[in-house]
Amino acid sequence: MSQQIVVYGASWCPDCHRSRTFLDGHNIGYEWIDIDEDPAAADKVAEINHGNKTIPTIIFPDKSILVEPSDKALEEKLVDLGIMKADVQKQPPVVTHDVVMIGAGPAALTAAIYTTREDIDTLLFEKGVVGGLAAVTDVIDNYPGFANGVHGLELAESLRGQAERFGAVIELGEVMSIKDEGKLKRLETTSGDMLAKVVLIATGSDYKKTGVPGEAEYYARGVHYCATCDGAFYRDKKLAVIGGGNSAVQESIFLTRFASHIDLLVRSSVKASEVLQEELKKYVDEGKITVHEGVRPKEIVGDGNAVNKVVAIDSKDQEIVYDVDGVFVFIGLLPNTGFLKASGVELDEVGLIKTDQNLQTNIRGVFAAGDVRSGATMQIASAAGEGATAALKIREYLEGKL
Amino acid sequence: MVKNITIFTTNTCAYCQMVKTYLKAKGVGYEEINLDENPHRRSEAHSLSGALTVPVTVVTRTDDSQEVIVGYNLSKLVPAIS
Repeated sequence: MSQQIVVYGASWCPDCHRSRTFLDGHNIGYEWIDIDEDPAAADKVAEINHGNKTIPTIIFPDKSILVEPSDKALEEKLVDLGIMKADVQKQPPVVTHDVVMIGAGPAALTAAIYTTREDIDTLLFEKGVVGGLAAVTDVIDNYPGFANGVHGLELAESLRGQAERFGAVIELGEVMSIKDEGKLKRLETTSGDMLAKVVLIATGSDYKKTGVPGEAEYYARGVHYCATCDGAFYRDKKLAVIGGGNSAVQESIFLTRFASHIDLLVRSSVKASEVLQEELKKYVDEGKITVHEGVRPKEIVGDGNAVNKVVAIDSKDQEIVYDVDGVFVFIGLLPNTGFLKASGVELDEVGLIKTDQNLQTNIRGVFAAGDVRSGATMQIASAAGEGATAALKIREYLEGKL
Repeated sequence: MVKNITIFTTNTCAYCQMVKTYLKAKGVGYEEINLDENPHRRSEAHSLSGALTVPVTVVTRTDDSQEVIVGYNLSKLVPAIS
């Protein structure tokens, strides 16, 4: 019986959206007809409403009609017709959003700029820093549009401001789990359960830990993962940086503004981009940074209060001791997908989310973009691009075209 | 009851920004001590928190008891200011 409800409306119409959200939230089936795409339907709506194309116009199984009903009027009608059960009626409705984005880094913020500009109701959850890893990076030199580079924090703030200008809402909290309930996805969050027609997972990645003895013991007391946060405590001190990729080199260069000297400990060889390596050479020539290749950390040692050395092993298995006051670790990234364990979302062998060419996961209506997606290039510009693509695909999905 | 809140920050620290954003959103006032502008106060942050990191948020209650929160940690910050 419930399949016979027909909702005439248009994608731009907020009241249509509200009525559909009400029906979806109570799991009541209906046929959606967009009058912008169906001239015969537009004529029918005009005929019902004495020449006006007033929407939403909702026709019920008993042929009765409601035009632009409030949620209360809609609820009364559904209870009258026996479509909505009394016990369902008494339950407080769970909030339903068009799109919930998990994460608020460059991918999700870009996606939110696109969805909210098209009036698609969008809520973002961020458990860490708005802007993600980009926000804790000192300078981003390869993000297009900034001839002289841009500070990570500044880029993050601009992205946030732009998304919020169009109506994106960022909630500071966490999504603990996702459950596929067919048309809707149920999310368990720090703000309670909620439903979403579409979920975009853009939780990015976090810096890996070395796992050597002393690392956990001296966390934030000599062992650090955020140069822009903690570098200031090492003015005129000696530091070790572990890692040889872009982040390790970039952040070592940043740390030279505080530290008197930096030992860069690289397991194999420096893998940073050529531009960064050239930049690094300047600091090496000045004696501010010394690069040690083929060196693996073995232990971080301290006096109980602070770090005073790093013990490492070289390629000939010889122990080398570096006398330093602190260690910064940048040895690669780990995807933030732990919360997806029971969700059924398919991951690859390293824990990144598998998607199809539409950035949709194996669960319909659940999309992924940015660093957390299998095949991502771990670049901020790519994350933003994937966010835009995901938003367009999400719109197609919401319109029933995907 | 909260009497006052002091946050130790630096210019480049995104987590500091998050603590400030959260407190602003809740309408809670705070005093900020920027360690880039006041480097001589680094040891104060260190002795309060035992850590070489920012943000350090010090919540002082009306009975003068203090809670020190290291980093951007909502599970500690939310109960501390409520």
